[in-house]
Amino acid sequence: MIELEGISKTYTRGEHGIVQALTSVSFHIAPGEFVVVRGASGCGKSTLLNILGCLDLPSAGSYRLDGEDVARYSDKQLARVRNAKIGFIFQSFNLLPRTTALENVELPMVYDQGRVDRRRALGALQRVGLAARASHFATELSGGEQQRVAVARALINSPALILADEPTGNLDLVAGREVMGLLTDLYQEGRTILLVTHDDAVAAYASREILLRDGSVVSDQIRVATLVEGAQ
Amino acid sequence: MRSLRRYRLRTTLMMLGILVGIASLAVLSSLGEATKRETMQRFKNMLGTFDAIIVRPGGGRTRGMPTLVNVPPTLLFDDASAIATELPEIKAVAEVQNAFDIDVKYRERTSSPAIFGVSPNWLALRSEEVADGVFFTADQNASLTRVAVLGLDVRNQMFPGEDVLGKTIRIADVPFDVIGLLKSRGAGPAGASLDNVVLIPIRTASRRLFNRDFLTMLVAQVKNPERSNEATAAVAGLLRRRHRIQPPALDDFSITSPAATMAQVTRAGSTLAKILTGVSIMALLIGGIVITSLTSIAVAERGKEIGVRRSVGAARPDVVLQFLFEAIFASLAGGFAGVVTGWGGLQLVTRTQKLPPIVVWQPFAVAIVLSLGIGVVFGLYPAWRASRVDPIQALHS
Repeated sequence: MIELEGISKTYTRGEHGIVQALTSVSFHIAPGEFVVVRGASGCGKSTLLNILGCLDLPSAGSYRLDGEDVARYSDKQLARVRNAKIGFIFQSFNLLPRTTALENVELPMVYDQGRVDRRRALGALQRVGLAARASHFATELSGGEQQRVAVARALINSPALILADEPTGNLDLVAGREVMGLLTDLYQEGRTILLVTHDDAVAAYASREILLRDGSVVSDQIRVATLVEGAQ
Repeated sequence: MRSLRRYRLRTTLMMLGILVGIASLAVLSSLGEATKRETMQRFKNMLGTFDAIIVRPGGGRTRGMPTLVNVPPTLLFDDASAIATELPEIKAVAEVQNAFDIDVKYRERTSSPAIFGVSPNWLALRSEEVADGVFFTADQNASLTRVAVLGLDVRNQMFPGEDVLGKTIRIADVPFDVIGLLKSRGAGPAGASLDNVVLIPIRTASRRLFNRDFLTMLVAQVKNPERSNEATAAVAGLLRRRHRIQPPALDDFSITSPAATMAQVTRAGSTLAKILTGVSIMALLIGGIVITSLTSIAVAERGKEIGVRRSVGAARPDVVLQFLFEAIFASLAGGFAGVVTGWGGLQLVTRTQKLPPIVVWQPFAVAIVLSLGIGVVFGLYPAWRASRVDPIQALHS
């Protein structure tokens, strides 16, 4: 699914000169894995996430996502990949304000040649247990509900990869557990999930852990995941 | 589209900016156009025709309307017949002697219309007809018959609701029989009515009333309006010969060619129209700046939204199109609203000012196209800026 070879990323930052955010990161992720990327602040996990999510291009190295060599793609090609192959879940939910839950879930379909399928969107909301809140505005939903809508949005185009950046960071314990339960369900259905987090408890859900320090991979281990009841 | 509904206040403000600009453009340029047409019409009312050369005595130093009391006695009846007979470019010549402040009485009623002594071809030269009765003939003119044709204002003032034909009025105590009634000619260039006149045969006027031998005006109709400049030069040349004027002496007459009159009228009208249009275009530019500002604010505030859209698959052109569409839609909607408002305002102005109805559609069509263009031009930069928003920064702010 994911083949990273020698990925490096450098920034030029004015007075500070050159910053090496990532140095020669390489790993492979097979379909259906649940991977967590951990590390201290500044270790480069955000940069890695942006590259994996095709929001940013590496300075060097190759990145094959679901068979496509995306490291040299144009803006338009990357946009298409993000639309078709990647589902994002952010710490701050990032739903569109003044927009209903249903419309938020439909958003990726707008950019898939405008083929908005309301029924499929409703189905996704049902999958995360929020069909009843379809016509509520995003701001009327609780944090946990918003994040679940975000999960539905991430799933709508059946992506090859789900990327979650501190998905429970803005949630209380209960809501957080609901969302992690959802992700676990998705994992058990065979989806490929990559998670970035500080939180040990959250990291424990994954079955493989990659540790980053100062922009390099320092360890990459399979372990036993904590399986928790899903939201359904 | 949904975004526009979501940000109602902002969209309304953008529309309002364009609405005002468009409405003022539509109203003002319609008014300008209508004023131009109205002015031309009024000149036509007064001159009767645009294919006539007008000669007045005095080298253009006479102010206001020439009358027997304020012109030099240099333009003669013989000048008129010379022009008519000697110049092939001229089809017909009409002679005029006129005066103001002369009392016209009927029984105990009095009025002071303008008295115009005119040659019998006066109406024909101006392609006009009487509304009632007849105009005087060449025979009546030659035999100094005392007959008169009244203008509509005189009829309304002195004979309200009555028959005028056959009645006898006294002009400066000289009795004249009323034989005809003129059609209304409307307003002259200064806005005053042209219907407060009494027309009498010029020979009668000269011998029986004014006791003057010279003309206050001469109207020469050209055969070929395309060659009116040549005709004007011919008339001027003839008059200079007859009056023995040699350069460097100045002419003792002033001559206006149809082309010159037309140009003068058009220039006056279009200057006004241009000023008004200029003002409204400025208003529109302000509307455009409103669009740019509000769209820029929108881009700044909706940074996160842009980031989200990019993360789910929007490419840069998608973002540009989204914000550009919003600007164009607001601009066009404002344009249509402006056209409607402008139209309503125009109706209001013409009704309350008792102006003739204005039927010009060009300014409104231009306005719509203009509002589309403004949406594109003023919305493009902020839309482009929106597409350059860095999704990574936007998503993590």
